[in-house]
Amino acid sequence: MHVLSIVGHSDTGKTTLTERLTDRFSDRGRVGTVKHIDCEPTLDTEGKDTARHRAAGAVQTYGIGDDEWFATGDTSELDLHEALERLGERCDYALVEGYSDLALPTVVLGEYDVDRGEVLARPSHGEEADIEAIVDALEATEPYETLSSLVAKVKRSPDEVYSGAIATFTGRVRAKEGPDDERTEKLEFEKYDEVAEQKMAEIREELEKRDGVYEVRMHHKTGVVEAGEDIVFVVVLAGHRGEAFETVEDGINRLKEIVPLFKKEVTVDEEFWAHEQ
Amino acid sequence: MRWKLFATLSETVGDNVLEVSVDAEEPTLRDAFDALLAAHPELESQVLDEEGALQDHLRLLCDGEDPFHSAEGWETDLGDVEELAMFPPVTGG
Repeated sequence: MHVLSIVGHSDTGKTTLTERLTDRFSDRGRVGTVKHIDCEPTLDTEGKDTARHRAAGAVQTYGIGDDEWFATGDTSELDLHEALERLGERCDYALVEGYSDLALPTVVLGEYDVDRGEVLARPSHGEEADIEAIVDALEATEPYETLSSLVAKVKRSPDEVYSGAIATFTGRVRAKEGPDDERTEKLEFEKYDEVAEQKMAEIREELEKRDGVYEVRMHHKTGVVEAGEDIVFVVVLAGHRGEAFETVEDGINRLKEIVPLFKKEVTVDEEFWAHEQ
Repeated sequence: MRWKLFATLSETVGDNVLEVSVDAEEPTLRDAFDALLAAHPELESQVLDEEGALQDHLRLLCDGEDPFHSAEGWETDLGDVEELAMFPPVTGG
């Protein structure tokens, strides 16, 4: 899934641009959107059954009708990344409107400062934006993958009917080796782009040739990954658990062995490249 | 010839993509490597061992392929090669 953040002060046409892009991206795939709202949502109004569920103490409530559904809940129950993780299972694109500064590809409307996201375009107003240029620029960025988006992909395999097992591996940033260890704050990954993609494709192809292994997907983040965040995923769709476990282990081992990725560790006091340790 | 350097090597040079001109008529990997060190002598202590050979832990790639595996090593003809890369051990995951 590709995710695009749309930022700008009020009256710069953020929603107009979100509408235009949703319409355009819908020709290419399924689109999800997330809107950052300052006011109380009006869907789940006082006195409705779902509001009564919430008032009684439910932390999340779903209202599911024949054609549409909605969900409400405490904000502590769903952050943006969790929302994107859910969208990633079923959508090809997600547009995120009104968050201030995300580490995501971003369109900035009007005068507005962003530090973290890669800026794809800076039109003065949502009406003025060159939609085709934004589509092309977003397609050229690295997709936003999560464990659930990769699992959802392998489940769509034509061989899914022969599969009785999915094994997954998630590598994450370990803050400490033990109680006295100095805390790792973040890792920074550098990637030899084209060659890394080529090596990952080779690993995938090699593993998918095995008997009873139907699909292999892997994704490795680059740039800054904070303590506790996920770094790498390997997902295997297989006939039985034996080949699923074995293949997921070989997948991550091969990735660590041959894919040109370089890790710099930033602790409270110092910075160093992992290979120098 | 385009060289790409990673991790500590690119930090030493201050850039990770370098255009290095190689004088030889039919340049080999050896020629391109010597030209890189001539253009960026600050790399020498990081790249060469005491005998002046490439340090063991460093990897070289010619268009993504290992020339010591799939070509003629230092004598690899760079006629059709567009990009060379040098990097320390990979540390993904």
